[in-house]
Amino acid sequence: MKTDVTNENNLGETKSFLSFRLGEEHFTIPVMKIMEILEVPKITKVPQSPNFLVGVINLRGAVLPVIDTRIKFGMTQMEYTINTCILVLSVEVNDETLVVGALVDSVSEVFELNESKIKPSPSIATKYRADYIAGMIQEDDHFMMVLNIDKVFSSMDLESMAESKEVKVEENK
Amino acid sequence: MEEMKDTYIQEANELLENLESSLLSLEDNPNDNSNIEQVFRVMHTLKGNSSMFGLTKIAEFVHDLETIYDKIRQGEMNLSKEILNTTLASFDHLNRIIHDSELQDPKNIENHQELIKKIHTFIQKESTATNANVTSATTMENNALRTVQVIFQPNEDLFLDGTNPLFLIADLTSLGKNCVIPHFKRVQTLDEYNPTFCITYWEVYLETKVPKEEIMDVFVFVEGNAKIEMNEFPYVNLISNREFITTVNSVIFKDALIDKVILTEQIEKVGEKVSSVTPNAKGVIVQDADAAVRIESKEKVVSSIRVASDKLDELMNLVSELVTTQASLTLYNEKNETPELEIISENIEKLSRRLRDIAFGMTLVPINNMFSRFQRLVRDMSETLGKEIQFVTEGGETELDKSIIETLTDPLMHIIRNSLDHGLEKPEDRMFLGKPRKGTVKLKAFYSGISVYIQIIDDGKGIDVEAVRNKAISKGFLKEEDVLSDKEIFDFIFFPGFSTAAVVTDISGRGVGMDVVKRNITDLKGSIVVESAVNVGTTLTIKLPLSLSIIDGLLVEIEKVNYIIPLSVVNKCYEVNNADMLHNFNKLLVLEEKQVPYINIRKEFGYQDLVEDEKSQLIVVSDGDHEVGICVDYIVGEYQAVVKPIGKYYKNQDFISGATILGDGSIALVMDTHKIVELYTEHVKMEVR
Repeated sequence: MKTDVTNENNLGETKSFLSFRLGEEHFTIPVMKIMEILEVPKITKVPQSPNFLVGVINLRGAVLPVIDTRIKFGMTQMEYTINTCILVLSVEVNDETLVVGALVDSVSEVFELNESKIKPSPSIATKYRADYIAGMIQEDDHFMMVLNIDKVFSSMDLESMAESKEVKVEENK
Repeated sequence: MEEMKDTYIQEANELLENLESSLLSLEDNPNDNSNIEQVFRVMHTLKGNSSMFGLTKIAEFVHDLETIYDKIRQGEMNLSKEILNTTLASFDHLNRIIHDSELQDPKNIENHQELIKKIHTFIQKESTATNANVTSATTMENNALRTVQVIFQPNEDLFLDGTNPLFLIADLTSLGKNCVIPHFKRVQTLDEYNPTFCITYWEVYLETKVPKEEIMDVFVFVEGNAKIEMNEFPYVNLISNREFITTVNSVIFKDALIDKVILTEQIEKVGEKVSSVTPNAKGVIVQDADAAVRIESKEKVVSSIRVASDKLDELMNLVSELVTTQASLTLYNEKNETPELEIISENIEKLSRRLRDIAFGMTLVPINNMFSRFQRLVRDMSETLGKEIQFVTEGGETELDKSIIETLTDPLMHIIRNSLDHGLEKPEDRMFLGKPRKGTVKLKAFYSGISVYIQIIDDGKGIDVEAVRNKAISKGFLKEEDVLSDKEIFDFIFFPGFSTAAVVTDISGRGVGMDVVKRNITDLKGSIVVESAVNVGTTLTIKLPLSLSIIDGLLVEIEKVNYIIPLSVVNKCYEVNNADMLHNFNKLLVLEEKQVPYINIRKEFGYQDLVEDEKSQLIVVSDGDHEVGICVDYIVGEYQAVVKPIGKYYKNQDFISGATILGDGSIALVMDTHKIVELYTEHVKMEVR
């Protein structure tokens, strides 16, 4: 992965991004949205809650809800490895800032990229909801999806996800 | 700028609250100068704030209002009922226009103009009256150096109330360069001489900067008992002038004042006219007054400061984290037994406990803040209803979480309204029943254990148990043959759509409200109980947890997850065989000869069902007036839990009211047993269908 900032075509701002892995797929989100990265502590599951809500953890005295990003993206449930970690994200939902933890398989790297390098995502042939994806970054021969995390983790959405979960999984097969 | 405006509104709200309570206590003691001062000061600060933010309309309005109180303060005007009513109306208006400072709402404009008109009539009426009183025709500024002639003519019986006029003269002469000329009313022969009569009067020439009002202040206690006349002359250096002194002394000991014309002539001849610097001088004085106010507010700043509540929340979070960390330290120390560490650990424990107490104490607010709001309500309502009401508050210093107080205001308002409207009788009816004319509504707050009680007590006609019972039957809440305790019957008052009032007034009686009251209080994890006796009165008792954020709980384990059940609802714990619960058609267990329904929480929470051969712990909790058993795997022990919200993601899991962090850093979920019972009853209903 290139981390240098190329001088050509400096139309957009250069920003830092963090990339992480879910299964075989690579995703990236702006570093500004990430408050910290945690190892997985003991998670307390809240009874009768939807599948993708793994539970709550103690984040230095505050109670943080944790979401299984794999289930959220229609993959199989998370298997914990030594690389599994929680991204603590600050999400803007309806002018409100929520703090939420996202379980991911592993964190890859932090890199800088000029915004102009982000290409719009192809509208077809994507298995994720279009409004979750802010764009694509091409690296050599593979693509990486830039997530719109405000959309992905908005709690309103979580409800609709909860209702249409089964349908979604089927679609994704 | 928006943020500044928020600050302004916040401050203005506080000032207005302050103003309201001062006005109301002023109404009770119209002669209390400290209250008048307080009202004046608050208005003054409000005016200053408003003009600082460029809200000229508000500033001008408050200025006019302030003028009235300034006059009252100076004794130039008397506080009348009309003035108070107008002030209170203005207060309401101010409450509205601080949010509409440009008066965009046509209703506000209309109100604004009407009030200004009223205020101006007060100011004008009174000022013409005062002008007539004061003989001085000189229209000079008060505060420049000039010569003042004060004629002090006490009534003959002045001595009888113990006044020594010479002290007053001494006070007067301390105000500046002076010349005192005593006069006798008439020359008396020895046989008609009465030593208890004051037959002397005085003429004092004073060269001073002191304003007329302050000079008058000297005579504040004898005003009713003496004639005081004050004439101002815009001349200086009279008193040091020999010729002038001789002239005025010519009438010494005579029953005659010096002729006005001669005096004026003399003054003009020898005095030096004061140059017209008066407006300037006035400016200086005004600034001084401002400074005085400022010093006062500075003093207030020291005694309390404004802190954003999210900062406090943050502090609480940190403190509870500290408490948790300290618990781990104690745990570690117990394992390792290092003497040095033990001392440190114990010290930290002490410090963190104190810190916790102080931090939690900070969010508490005395309930008095809320009580004073009701004073106004009672006052206004007693006028509309034509009832004579005495409003008593007790235990205003009781402290409650600010958020609780805010949620409690509306329910309490509703209850008090009900008491005033339906509870208390009209004065004539009260007389007929042999009760005092004035009805009493008492608002009482006190601590008991870990709860706060708030009582609303009235000595009105009370609630007839039978009437409530009949109504409940007619509404279909109750069957004819049901036997209920009085307490249970009174509970129907909180049912939606229940009202025993024959007449629906615009204040209350529509039966909406009491159910909301109950819900609001239940939301705060509180309870409400009604006691009443016909013609004796009604007492409503609200019980609230001391603080929402910290509770005593029973730590239990279900399926290796820790849960906290609030200790306040836990009645008893039993050990029961799982088999007894699994094969139980009625879902009732007999415990100490009582039948107790139970909830298999594993089923409700979607865990694996109970294992046949094992035992469970049954926690019997009270839900309202009933007892329900909740079965758990183990009881860990008592635990003081700092309850934290679990966030919006879990809003559909409302049977968990929050989470708390245990000593080992893991999380325990706090159960809302009431909601669990609701959840269970719903399930049962579904199954039946």
